[in-house]
Amino acid sequence: MAWYYLEGILILCGINVMVVLGLSLLTGFTGLFSFGHAGFMAIGAYVSASLTTMLHWPFIPAVVAGGLVAMLMSFIIGGLTLNLKGDYFCIATLGFGEAIRLILNNVQTFGGARGMASIPLKSSLVAVYAFVIIGVIFMWFLIRSRHGRNMVAIREEELAAQAIGINVFRYKMLSLAASALYAGIGGALWAHYLTFINPAMFMLTKSTEMTIMVIIGGLGSITGSIVGTFFLTFLPEAFREFADWRMVVYGAAVIAVMALRPQGLLGGIEFSPKGIIKWITTSGKSKKAQVKTPVEGGKA
Amino acid sequence: MTTKVLTLENVTKRFGGLTAVGDVSFSINEGEIFGLIGPNGAGKTTIFNLITGVYTLTEGNIHFNKGEKPILVAKADPYGTGFFNDLKRRFVFRPKKPSDIAELGITRTFQNIRLFKKLSVYENVLTACHRSAKYGVLVSLLPWKLPYTNIPYPMFRKQVKQEEALNAKTEDLLKLMGLWEYRAMKASNLPYGLQRKLEIARALALDPKLLLLDEPAAGMNPEETLALLDLIKEIRDKFNLTVLIIEHHMDLVMNLCDRIYVLNFGKFLAEGKPSDIQGNPQVIEAYLGKEE
Amino acid sequence: MNVFLQQLINGLSLGSVYALMAVGYSLVYSILNFSNFAHGGVIMLGAYFGLYAMTLLPLPLLGGLIVAALCCGLVAVTLEKIAYSPLRRRNAPSLYFIISAMGASIFLENIVVATIGPTFKTYPTVFEKTAIQIADISVNKIDLMMFVIAAISLLILVFILGKTKIGLAIRASSYSSRGATLMGVNVDRVIFVIFMIGGVMAGFAGMLFGMRYTVYPQIGIITNKSFIAAVFGGLGSLPGAVIGSILLGVIETFAASSVSNYRDLIAFVLLILVLVIKPSGLMGKVVEDKA
Repeated sequence: MAWYYLEGILILCGINVMVVLGLSLLTGFTGLFSFGHAGFMAIGAYVSASLTTMLHWPFIPAVVAGGLVAMLMSFIIGGLTLNLKGDYFCIATLGFGEAIRLILNNVQTFGGARGMASIPLKSSLVAVYAFVIIGVIFMWFLIRSRHGRNMVAIREEELAAQAIGINVFRYKMLSLAASALYAGIGGALWAHYLTFINPAMFMLTKSTEMTIMVIIGGLGSITGSIVGTFFLTFLPEAFREFADWRMVVYGAAVIAVMALRPQGLLGGIEFSPKGIIKWITTSGKSKKAQVKTPVEGGKA
Repeated sequence: MTTKVLTLENVTKRFGGLTAVGDVSFSINEGEIFGLIGPNGAGKTTIFNLITGVYTLTEGNIHFNKGEKPILVAKADPYGTGFFNDLKRRFVFRPKKPSDIAELGITRTFQNIRLFKKLSVYENVLTACHRSAKYGVLVSLLPWKLPYTNIPYPMFRKQVKQEEALNAKTEDLLKLMGLWEYRAMKASNLPYGLQRKLEIARALALDPKLLLLDEPAAGMNPEETLALLDLIKEIRDKFNLTVLIIEHHMDLVMNLCDRIYVLNFGKFLAEGKPSDIQGNPQVIEAYLGKEE
Repeated sequence: MNVFLQQLINGLSLGSVYALMAVGYSLVYSILNFSNFAHGGVIMLGAYFGLYAMTLLPLPLLGGLIVAALCCGLVAVTLEKIAYSPLRRRNAPSLYFIISAMGASIFLENIVVATIGPTFKTYPTVFEKTAIQIADISVNKIDLMMFVIAAISLLILVFILGKTKIGLAIRASSYSSRGATLMGVNVDRVIFVIFMIGGVMAGFAGMLFGMRYTVYPQIGIITNKSFIAAVFGGLGSLPGAVIGSILLGVIETFAASSVSNYRDLIAFVLLILVLVIKPSGLMGKVVEDKA
């Protein structure tokens, strides 16, 4: 395999990891489901591309600005829906994703349906992975802080989370804003890798594809999301002749995962060098050691 | 004069046409263990939900007094029906949120246990301790310690100390509740009785002033119930708590409570010392039915 | 005035098809408390079933409708058995249901792309594309037919819910499925029936929509509008879903005549307005969590 080809896939992996990290926080750790993250990617892509092509901004500030504008947008969606009970948030993200695409289709400043072309090629392997590494570090430590624990509490049992003084709205908003920021940056990096963008790239399918990576990798695991992303980005390259069946298999896989193994491939377990060593040295014994002979009776 | 920690005035809650709680007034003195009893469906849990802000009041108000002056924790929704009233309700009406009330110092347990099921016993309590640390979101994005060591970076010493304090507090609470040896277990795998204890531990993690216990002895055998009785008294003294308790085990209620309020069909039936309640013919009738 | 009436009729017929879609969605939402995003996939299949029934078999219009409705009902019920019932038995959080629904929606859409292909297809002409003249108003025959078929099926649904035993069971379960179980309602059967009803309505809607416009694998996206219509009418309320859908159809038709480029945006603007002003919608009730 030519390095040029491999490099391209690795860059795509990195870009997808960026978006998937955000979705992992939102869906895997906070328990919210979004159909609209392609919309946030679109905002990031269009804002950053406009800044670099029209205003000649340097690459990195443009990417960050793209992410920040996407985050601002998320405050509107979240502010309207996250304090409501029911599926309002889900439906609003669905509408939002479509609306962004429709608006871009009709705004001639951004090229309408043809989109924008000759965006400078700036997303090199190094640049993308610099963003990814910073993104992973931030996410990793956020999850392990009290703020991350609060989000998990909301996912597990919203009423109880409120009863221990967690401002549910605030933490949902935080989670959504962070995921929109990551999606926006991912979109911006994508635009500067492909050098062209158009509204059709940000259809509902894009959102669901990203969410599938989170689910296959395992809800509630950052390393799982990363592994899932690499797996699902490389897989179609290996089976190009079955391209039509790819999404069929994905759909079936999602149903199967939910029905049989909702924790996904890694499910809530994180990889770390320390953990792997521990797993190797204590494998077999660890399970017995953990389960303290529980008293009989009772149900969950 | 003793302080009244919690005061309910003419509290009413209607769901559509059904009056779940009608015109209930009582107040709880500092340090008291106050029992709320009544037959099933009498509106006891609804009162808990009103105090903790899960439901909004239809009429009346609830004050909470931590020491200086009473704080209004729940007030009635003053708007009627109609488009403009709906708008006002959405944008003007700002009742205290459940999380605000918990932060003020009222915490609770749930009748149908609501633990963070997939988290470990330890994580359940650790999460609930979150108010004892103050570090913000941005600082939590960064690593605080040298990788694979326990040595904090100089600028993050404060945060590391806060996080250590949370862990120490969690350890104390779990040991107090006799849950320390189960700390690694998933909460949903705990036996029923211990799940109830874990809920109490989680509620104590916020350093409450007033603790609301919703049927803490449900599903426990007589010995466990007896042990729970001592435990509740112990934590009351240790944490300077006032306790409001809903319970069906009459032994527990009569031996534990200083005063009891009896509800029937959402309305006042009786109030007084356990000895008064035990002999009250109306209460006996509500529980056992009228003798022909 | 004539233009106005004509637009009104067009709007009503579009709205009534939205209503057919929204009904299936709302029924599931009111009982299982999650948004069945796979509903669009079933509607899309309805369009294809109807198309092939009329071209390959070939059946007349009514036969096509019946085939589409029955096949869609079967698909919806099978979907429930495979994707949702394992989750129901585990008491899984509603997040899992939504994810499964998303998986099902991707599966249905792409299996059509992979087997039939992504190309646009059109129905054979049943009627000449002529309009009927009533006084001064000319109405497309197909619009009129859409409205009539939708109205009849909604009336039948109202009858089923209002007058039959299973209808009572459905209404009881939508208040509290646990309470209904305690009262001896077989919730499994109720769920079977609501998915069947939803599927049948989806079959009608898909076929009518396919006849009016064209048939392609992404046609299910149109259901997004019925979700929005359901929020507009009041999430979880069946009459709300119907009224919301009809209003949305009418508003869209009128607005489309002035700002045609942004026709599809109107639903979204409406959604924002509803979320800002009155999230419970026209007929919705405020839900309070049971603690």
